[in-house]
Amino acid sequence: MVYYEIKKVFSKTSNKIAVLILIFLLGLVSSSAVHVEYTNEEGNHESGNSAIHKLKEMKKEWAGELTEEKLMRVIEENARIQATPEAQSKDIQQQNIAYNWMQGFEDIRTMFANSYGGFREHDYFVIDYLKPEDAAKFYSNRVESLKEYLYSPEQDIVSHFLSEKEKAFLIKQYEEMETPLKYEDFMGWDESEYNAPMLIMFMCLILGFLVAGIFSNETKLKADSIFFSAYHGRKQAVLAKLVAGLVIVTGFYWLVMLLFSAIVLGILGTEGADCMIQISLGGWKSFYNITFLQRHLLILFGGYIGTLFVILVTMFVSAKTKSAVVSVMVPFILLFVPAFLSGSDSYTLNQILGVLPDQLMQLNKPLKTFNLAEIGGKVTGILNVLFPVYAALSVILCPVVYQVYRRAEVK
Amino acid sequence: MELELEHVTKEFNDFKAVSDVSYTMHNGVYGLLGVNGAGKTTTMRMLCTLLKPSAGRITYDGRDIFEMDGEYRKMLGYLPQDFGYYPDFSVQDYLMYIASIKGLPSALAGKRVKELLGKVGLSKAKNKKMKKLSGGMKRRAGIAQAMLNDPRILILDEPTAGLDPNERIRFRNLISELSEDRMVLLSTHIVSDVEYIAGEILLMKDGEFAHSGTVYELTASIPDRVWNVKAAKTEVDTYMKQYKVANVKTVQEGVELRILSEQIPHPGAIQEEVCLEDVFLYYFGEKAGEEDGVL
Repeated sequence: MVYYEIKKVFSKTSNKIAVLILIFLLGLVSSSAVHVEYTNEEGNHESGNSAIHKLKEMKKEWAGELTEEKLMRVIEENARIQATPEAQSKDIQQQNIAYNWMQGFEDIRTMFANSYGGFREHDYFVIDYLKPEDAAKFYSNRVESLKEYLYSPEQDIVSHFLSEKEKAFLIKQYEEMETPLKYEDFMGWDESEYNAPMLIMFMCLILGFLVAGIFSNETKLKADSIFFSAYHGRKQAVLAKLVAGLVIVTGFYWLVMLLFSAIVLGILGTEGADCMIQISLGGWKSFYNITFLQRHLLILFGGYIGTLFVILVTMFVSAKTKSAVVSVMVPFILLFVPAFLSGSDSYTLNQILGVLPDQLMQLNKPLKTFNLAEIGGKVTGILNVLFPVYAALSVILCPVVYQVYRRAEVK
Repeated sequence: MELELEHVTKEFNDFKAVSDVSYTMHNGVYGLLGVNGAGKTTTMRMLCTLLKPSAGRITYDGRDIFEMDGEYRKMLGYLPQDFGYYPDFSVQDYLMYIASIKGLPSALAGKRVKELLGKVGLSKAKNKKMKKLSGGMKRRAGIAQAMLNDPRILILDEPTAGLDPNERIRFRNLISELSEDRMVLLSTHIVSDVEYIAGEILLMKDGEFAHSGTVYELTASIPDRVWNVKAAKTEVDTYMKQYKVANVKTVQEGVELRILSEQIPHPGAIQEEVCLEDVFLYYFGEKAGEEDGVL
């Protein structure tokens, strides 16, 4: 039965086109993710495998623990390059030649911008004004900037709404991050994190389109009379529809995401898997003390749980309304309405938006923001709530969808 | 085998589609005759557990069919009026899928599908997509799906609707052939469909079983006799207003009317044998000028 339910889905021309679009999107997002530019010794841009290889070689020189000595060396090296005629030149080509020398420690330079720029500013050139002895404050700056932000007198920032308990939690999380941080090239993980949410969101829309008709098409095609009057029509056949939906979602999700991961990590490399996400631009402020590998797994599993939940809601609406048109709108509403409202300054609205399922599909967002939850007097990151809650809701939705559909009457 | 309707009523909001219907059916072919909107489809849908009666109950050998659930549906074959199918499935795939939801093991399903494809004359078209089949072929696929589980109760709702005369004759013969050792309930508003094959005929009107019996019993039940009257074309309207007219045939001398009347309508009228169509007209037809005339 499950086989034929899946066959019903993929025998439709529109669904075949949807699958082709998904394959095209996978190719597009993957190729965009692995597009890396390298500036060579002549100041010209290169891309492709050789560019990736050259960039990796340059970064290797700076791999290892980011101790005070190494950070001092970065400041000194940066100062040396900045003093060269190429860096001082007004000519872009000459500046590019100077940039070629800096590419190896470009990631660390970004970390300096994070550390010394404070919490609400990002000055890419801050390293240019630093002296080697400033390196001592590299890690302590992070905690100090947080404290300064949390106790800022300004009323319109997120920290103003945080309780003392929440502030204490954030400070503790920051302090618990082990230093010195280990550095290694993390291009593959960073590009995955940046591009995966987009792929997951589009995939969710396409999967929603595929499953929207699983329940409603029986009515649309007037095949429901035969279906419900059959021996298994009120039990196993309904279950088969549900299982078919879950198989399609699970199969496609993991196939696409594992292919995406394999392409991106295969081309850009898996180095840096055990480095903390705080060495990246987006990860510096995160209070989640996790490695790139852990973050990647969170993105994959979070995306799966979020997608599964959205698809189950879609199937529920399909079973209830018997309308593919109505149900196909569910993923759009659940994914794009929050995105549309997310620019709001309202703390309350942002708190609500912060617990919606799209957060699991765009995990780079909650990982970077101070979105917290208090359970039983204990403060925790919102992700520790979203994962079990949406997993549980998905499990609950399965029997609900089953019951709703099997009780249908054919008038 | 006994399928019994006990004071069954079905209401949709304020509309009573079926009203306090009671009847018992055994093996054999039953024809359910009635005008559109008489409640035939609603009755059949209740018999197929697709609709629950608002009142009363339906039993199979004394057990409520809704409580029997799958056990009852396992014995059921149903061809609905609006036969829906999966347009992109081949005939073979469609039947294999229906076999699976009817609970047939796959090895048996393959055998049954092959056998039924032969029986309904679709063997050569088994790999054709359902959407590419002609109306008659679709109906044949429909009857094949209904027969997959070798049902003890076969319910066919307007199975001949939209078929050409050849297809209808073929279909009637097929149903007749399939009716051994099972109960077949066939609904239609085409009288000739049931006249030749139904052992028992139920006449349904306004949600009730108005009359029932064999063709002979029904034809004998009406007090009217049937007359063939030759008349001028100008007289047709007068006859139509006065009598129930089963047929008007234009001939060289004027018209020939088939009239239902207890008394001889015209001195030159010739009495003819009553057929089921006349019975249908007697119970359901109106004289010209009456409201909602159906003929």
